[in-house]
Amino acid sequence: MSTFNSSSDSLASQRSSGAEFRRGIKESLPVLIGFLPIALVLGAQATAKGFTAWQVPLMCGANFAGGSEFVAVGLWAVPPDLVLIAAMTLLVNSRHLLMGAALAPLARHLPGRKIFPALFVMCDESWAMGLADARKRGLFSLPYYLGTSIGMWVTWVLFTYAGAKLGPLIGDLAAFGFDMAFTAVFLVLLRGAWTSFRAVRPWFVSLAVAAPTYLILPGAWYVATGAVSGLVAAFFLAEER
Amino acid sequence: MSPDLLAILTIASMAVVTYCTRIGGFLLLRNRTLSPRTLAVLEAVPGCVLISVIAPRFVSDKPAELLALAITLLAAWRLPLLPTVIISVVATGLLRHFM
Repeated sequence: MSTFNSSSDSLASQRSSGAEFRRGIKESLPVLIGFLPIALVLGAQATAKGFTAWQVPLMCGANFAGGSEFVAVGLWAVPPDLVLIAAMTLLVNSRHLLMGAALAPLARHLPGRKIFPALFVMCDESWAMGLADARKRGLFSLPYYLGTSIGMWVTWVLFTYAGAKLGPLIGDLAAFGFDMAFTAVFLVLLRGAWTSFRAVRPWFVSLAVAAPTYLILPGAWYVATGAVSGLVAAFFLAEER
Repeated sequence: MSPDLLAILTIASMAVVTYCTRIGGFLLLRNRTLSPRTLAVLEAVPGCVLISVIAPRFVSDKPAELLALAITLLAAWRLPLLPTVIISVVATGLLRHFM
């Protein structure tokens, strides 16, 4: 990193920030398109469960973590059970603890006033793209990450709201297979993170634990048990390197 | 308490809990030097979480769902994101309708 701070230098870095932001938006376009059907389905399901239309973008903008929002909608009633939904939100989003930790060594050079607002829009996809980009280029690019994240946030809020408004018309989108888009997006992200079979053995441990947990326990426990057992496996398998 | 107010409070509690998860790990681990083993665990996080979230798909009791998942897996293995999503959604819709 340059230690000079001349005006031409900061201008150049500003320009490259804008370019980096646009690169983030551009490279995340396929993800944004993948968001559309999921957002529409979530909005539609939410109004069917008793959300008013404006509460849907409120939740999706303030929380911005799709998995927990699907769980919240699944558990929603009028009036909703606040404690249950908050607990399940914590469970589903506990992965953010580890995601933030993985980001920390790459973002040490950033001041708190930049990183704490940036963390508000960290989601699975923008985090994965930001980290993959940092690995490829050797430096974490905050504007690139913000380009991916903010594009995703705006898309998510707008299209969940559209889903809420169109709810009664498109409520049966799941019958046409649109809910599978979620799985497809996740599998492509997994393919991108695949290095070798040896390296990804913990994934299979996660799958082998999460799937039966889902069949046995109610709620979102399968996410926690699956993720934790995969990480325990990663801890012990790491010794062989 | 009105249902509307309770809905807003529930959404607010979700937002607070979620933001705490976002900054929690970052704050706890930001100034530590991580061992290779810790790094190996952190590298495994995204994959373990993603596969766990979609794990219910792998144990569906409906043949159409499992076949749709197999097609999605094949597409995801070979193709970029958008074609994968399109193939997956179309195949799932058709299989649910005809099986």
